[in-house]
Amino acid sequence: MSYHYLPLIAVLVPMALGLFLLWQGRLGTRATQALGFVGFLVPCVIAVILWKNFSCIPPSDLYGGFAYFGDFDTGLADFGISLKMGINGIGLPLYLLAGIVGLAAGWYALSTTEAPKFPTYIGLLLFMQAGLMGVFSTIDIFFFYFFHEFALIPTFILIAFWGGRGRRTAAIEMTTYLTLGAMLSLAGLIGLYVKFDVQSFDLVQLKNALAGAGAVAFAQDNWYALLLFGFGILVSLFPFHMWAPRGYAAAPTPAAMLHAGVLKKFGLYGLIQIAVVLLPEGAKDWTNTLVILALGNVILIGLVTMAQRNLKIMLGYSSVMHMGYAFLAVAAMSVAGYSAAILLLFAHGLSVAALFMLSNAVGRRTGSFDMGEMGGLAQKAPVLAAFFIAAMFASIGLPGFANFWGELGVFLSVWAFKPWVAALICLGIVISAVYGLRAVSRIFFGQPSKAFEKRFEDTEISDITLGERVPALILLGALMVAGFCPWLVTDSVNTAYGAAPVKACAAGETPVPVQPASVSQ
Amino acid sequence: MDNTQLLLTLLVLPLCSAAFIACFLRRSKWGGALVSTTVGFVLMALALVFFFKWDGATIQQSWQWLRLGDISLSLGILVDANAALMLLVVTFVAAWIQLFSVGYMDDDPAKGRFFAGLSLFMFSIIGIAIADNLVMLFIFWELVGFCSYMLIAHYFTQPDANMASKKAFIVNRVGDLGFLIGIVWCYHLYGTVQISELAALIEADPSKMVTGLGLCLMCGFLGKSAQFPLQVWLTDAMAGPTPVSALIHAATMVAAGIYFLARIFFMFTPFVLDWIIWSGALMALLAGIWALGQKDIKKSLAYSTLSHLGYMACAVGLGMPALALFHMAMHAVFKATLFLGSGSVIHACHHEQDIFKMGGLFKKMPITGITFLISGLSAAAVPFFAGHYSKDAIISQAWNVNGVVFGMLLLAAVFTAVYVTRLFAVAFLGKPRGEGAEHAHESGFAMTLPLVILGALSLGAGWIVYGWPLLPQVCADAIMPAYHAFHGSLVEASLASPLLIASIVAALVGFAWGILYYGKSREDDPLKQKHPKLYHAIHQHGWFDVVYDWYVAKVQQRVCDVLAFADMLVSGLLMMRGSATVVAAVGLLARISVTGNVRVYLYWFFAGMLVFMAFLFKFLF
Repeated sequence: MSYHYLPLIAVLVPMALGLFLLWQGRLGTRATQALGFVGFLVPCVIAVILWKNFSCIPPSDLYGGFAYFGDFDTGLADFGISLKMGINGIGLPLYLLAGIVGLAAGWYALSTTEAPKFPTYIGLLLFMQAGLMGVFSTIDIFFFYFFHEFALIPTFILIAFWGGRGRRTAAIEMTTYLTLGAMLSLAGLIGLYVKFDVQSFDLVQLKNALAGAGAVAFAQDNWYALLLFGFGILVSLFPFHMWAPRGYAAAPTPAAMLHAGVLKKFGLYGLIQIAVVLLPEGAKDWTNTLVILALGNVILIGLVTMAQRNLKIMLGYSSVMHMGYAFLAVAAMSVAGYSAAILLLFAHGLSVAALFMLSNAVGRRTGSFDMGEMGGLAQKAPVLAAFFIAAMFASIGLPGFANFWGELGVFLSVWAFKPWVAALICLGIVISAVYGLRAVSRIFFGQPSKAFEKRFEDTEISDITLGERVPALILLGALMVAGFCPWLVTDSVNTAYGAAPVKACAAGETPVPVQPASVSQ
Repeated sequence: MDNTQLLLTLLVLPLCSAAFIACFLRRSKWGGALVSTTVGFVLMALALVFFFKWDGATIQQSWQWLRLGDISLSLGILVDANAALMLLVVTFVAAWIQLFSVGYMDDDPAKGRFFAGLSLFMFSIIGIAIADNLVMLFIFWELVGFCSYMLIAHYFTQPDANMASKKAFIVNRVGDLGFLIGIVWCYHLYGTVQISELAALIEADPSKMVTGLGLCLMCGFLGKSAQFPLQVWLTDAMAGPTPVSALIHAATMVAAGIYFLARIFFMFTPFVLDWIIWSGALMALLAGIWALGQKDIKKSLAYSTLSHLGYMACAVGLGMPALALFHMAMHAVFKATLFLGSGSVIHACHHEQDIFKMGGLFKKMPITGITFLISGLSAAAVPFFAGHYSKDAIISQAWNVNGVVFGMLLLAAVFTAVYVTRLFAVAFLGKPRGEGAEHAHESGFAMTLPLVILGALSLGAGWIVYGWPLLPQVCADAIMPAYHAFHGSLVEASLASPLLIASIVAALVGFAWGILYYGKSREDDPLKQKHPKLYHAIHQHGWFDVVYDWYVAKVQQRVCDVLAFADMLVSGLLMMRGSATVVAAVGLLARISVTGNVRVYLYWFFAGMLVFMAFLFKFLF
């Protein structure tokens, strides 16, 4: 069976259903739920099928390392733009992540039927999902950018209209930052197009041009800086991180799950898949800057996270902190580093989505996100507590969950590059334990605080509901499967970088830029 | 089933049990206890089967688990005599403690969570025992830490359990930080983290040893075994249920640190070993004294554990890891009995833990009393009791190496006898002094049977040095060759008898001191009444907690707050609002020009004309 149309179907189904829901804004709850469920399930099923089938594809069926290749003309062929779909080993884990997190966030959203204008709400989320499925399965860097914006714009609308307290400010702040980041990266991408001069936005053709002319021919580091900071802002690189904690705190939970869990990974994916591959010389020149900034992410933001009292803002900061690890792994510029970064992104996406959802579940029961106004919740909601603790421990790198392998891989690969940096970021395991356990203890253990006491005694506080339980199980289950069998995620990445292990760069030497194996067609 | 399969079953079975209980038996009244305890005894049986089948050859096998570019990590098993001993001790003690828990936790509403935790712990500790590389050790190292956290927090509504669980995990993470750095360093230095490969590498070229690496790896031991300066978590951890204290915080998990040291002993340079000796000896002595400053029976026993861990560390530092493991095994048995005995007492006295509110329990609880006495004598290293053989050997080895260390260890032995006497005399002798003790009666069968079994072993386990008829030779191989060689050398140097006498005298002095001081039944600690300042100093156990609390509240928290404020100010206000302010200011300036006054517009018009003309002239002419 040919799978070539599946990536496109995974985009078109949620898009079409989203359009339908937006157009038919007064659909009943049941019908909306049914349509929405199909819209989130189809991409997830397709992602799982494509992931499962990936290793069986003979190399002759690959287009420059990309499987499931399909070329669809969109009338822009004169500019070298056409919708080329395809997934390679680097994108595959993130594609799977998008499918899984999409289903979990979708299920959760479909259970919150009290949301105003429910069909429109679901429709916008389906648009996001369509964009997410597109981002990681396109070869054309114009569409790569296009799908990101396609998912980003519904995010802004969702925050501004369905968000919590402070949503307008947060939406404006987030829009400003992310639009700036996207603009910079667009400028960088157009720069690539102009510089490589192959009349095409096709990543494979760009890579071939590079392979033909040699990296030094394009040794122009300023273009890389545009991509680095553009993509960096999108992933909350220090000091451009301020949008993340407040934006996520104000965002409606499914939007926060999709953005923090998946869409945010776009920036790092872009760096790994495009920027360091096409501009290795520039990447080498900027690697020290990146190390300093990413250390700010891990250490400074880690310490800032410890000072937070608001649960959601704390989670936002912690996710900024963990992105620092991924940046450092990219700065290491080795296959090990890129693979570790991809594994960490996969794990982090799942765990942060689970944490945002569960913290919203906590907030619904305590009536506040201030951790000073909680306490003793495990007495009333033991299963919720168990899920939350599992997700929190996953996020602080407990073995058994995928995050552990990701972080370990980062430490190992960064040590090969700069041992002192690796030793320094190991501190992160203590920092994250402090804020993670503090949160668990303040929310679930002990006795209810003064502010929470009355609500705790008087109102009926239920344990986890079905709408919360299913997404939590999906996300934590995926985390544990990848935690016990990490090769399920990393095999495809290793394939993408070639079967033969690449020699590590010893400490002190200049890192050797790494090219994906199958450059020529 | 071959040995590898047997070992893998041993590893995976408790994980399945934990998962099964967590998923299906969470609310069941006795289901979790039944499954977990049954699995516990099956594990013990499997471990015994393994012993009788095993030919003593090292079992090694590993599987690649994760490949990231050129980094390759694997999981595997490496079972030698040490690992086999650890397996036997862990599964044996754990099975009886689980049976004890069935009785102890009878009125607990969350038995499912508790027993799932115990099963998960068994999975993790067995993983530590058989791990063949440092990464796998670290994985299970963290997992036992998590189990410890989860079980300390069993009574999570209590503020002290809430604090203690957090503290235990975070302090352990501080130790693990060094451990992790050590592993990463080791991977890049030697190109492998496989214990057997490392051993071969270093054996071939001892100059490859690195002191810093040894110190980093040692940090893992400092955290898990609660040694200086990370000892603060262990006494607080007593907030967990007593069987947990017996299993995790006395017999197995904290002793895993010693096992770890013995396993990578070949990686330690003399400097690291010296460090371990001094920190161990100091801990043995100081914790022995600190045990006298606690009225809570469990906390006093926790300091006793610290003191004995100090002995074991000392033995490793003194170059005798086999003796350390011997003492680990003996300690596991008698300390488990002491803790279970205290659990039996606490259960009988309706959760009263203050020994000065007990008293007169010997007559009411004879089985508990006798086993407590036996294990106490074993801890004080009275000849023919289990603890004697191992502890005496460690003290003798100290004499061979360093006189000061010998003195410290001997003095620590005196204090061991004092605190054991204190606990026994105050809690079991005299008259009942509290409501609970008045109505106490002997615990049920599920609790007394483990006491009897482990109590008998507290007496007889050490006789293994004379050779047990039943036990397979393989098991003794872990300790015995080293022990006998060592003992032989003592006899040859005609030191055996003087050293034996020295240690007997130490114990006797301790007993006499204890009986004279604590023998009379009292309402409060006599030391507290007579020398309140001295008692307070002992009670504060070195003011470590005071310093750490000060650091957390006054340094760490303030630094974080300042950084958070700066973050808000710089990236929130300056960058975000700053750019908005520029836009607003331009708007404001532009607005000034729009006054609605025709005359003003006329001026603007002329001004604009002038500028325009100026440009025109400049470019045209």
